[in-house]
Amino acid sequence: MTLWFEDIDSETVWPLGEYTFTEDEIIHFAKQYDPQYFHVDPEAAKHSHFGGLIASGWHTVSVGHKVMVDFMYAHDDMQRANGEEPGVSGPSPGVNKMEFKAPVRSGDTIRFDLKVKNKRKSNSLPGWGLLTSIISAYNEQDELVYRSEIASFSKLRDYKPKLKERVLLAMAAMPVFRKLLRK
Amino acid sequence: MSNPITKDRRHFEDLTVGEVIKLGERHLSKDDIISFAKQFDPLPFHLDEDVAKKSLLGGLASSGWQTAGFSLRMLVDEFLNKVAGMGGLGFDNLKWKRPLMKNDTLTGTVTIASLRRSHSHPRMGIVVFDFDMRNQNNQEVMTLSLTNLVEVRDPSAPFEEDAA
Repeated sequence: MTLWFEDIDSETVWPLGEYTFTEDEIIHFAKQYDPQYFHVDPEAAKHSHFGGLIASGWHTVSVGHKVMVDFMYAHDDMQRANGEEPGVSGPSPGVNKMEFKAPVRSGDTIRFDLKVKNKRKSNSLPGWGLLTSIISAYNEQDELVYRSEIASFSKLRDYKPKLKERVLLAMAAMPVFRKLLRK
Repeated sequence: MSNPITKDRRHFEDLTVGEVIKLGERHLSKDDIISFAKQFDPLPFHLDEDVAKKSLLGGLASSGWQTAGFSLRMLVDEFLNKVAGMGGLGFDNLKWKRPLMKNDTLTGTVTIASLRRSHSHPRMGIVVFDFDMRNQNNQEVMTLSLTNLVEVRDPSAPFEEDAA
């Protein structure tokens, strides 16, 4: 998220964007990461219970991630244009749950949205909060394609380090101590 | 209506809980990381080595989704393309424990954690796979539990719990 931890609520549903899958892209991804016959061979896929070629679930999820990153960049730009400083998001420690609900076929346009389910301050990373977000994907028939529950870090705007941490940080910034720390 | 693609592969009845699948090895190059990141995870610390060195990751590391993709690929090669697979239902508890860095080699094992027939779809067996992915120094990189479907050879067979 491009909001500061303090500004994030659990009401807003963020429409991240959409993406249209092509047969070439479905096959190209699957050849690298998921070469099962119903993801790479349109003829053989007719024998599967899907009745034809479908995208790897991991392809759909990777596209959903890309759509989210693009949304974040666009949102950052919008905030800067309004004279605001965008928040900082950190790495993700993991995915609690991912449910694949409906297959994606060539030509399908999938839309993705995100809602923060809950947030708390991180115990392990001072100055950061931990978010649990729900990312959902839907097809043009409004069927749920996947639903995921993802953890991620988000920086606190109002974080004041404790005196001990401030001293350590200040020391780490001084060239003499930086040299010592490197050793 | 037997499926000519999968009829001679292992079916649900042939699998056992506790079966361990040893995965192959996948070396990760700088080009691998950057080409995936450009397509799916274009964050500066996956694209630019200098930015990456100053980031929390401490160097150029793959997108977590790429690590997951390589792990799945290795399970497809060693197992899923040798069974009558019917796709996946999803996964639980994916944990990225350590970034996979440039020039690391990914490997690991997958264990069949549980097997049960679907009551609503008697043709389908539900298989849970526990992944334990490691780097070349045997350090944990990623764990997850994947739930996939494998075709039942004889859907008319009674359910084990019913037969008991």
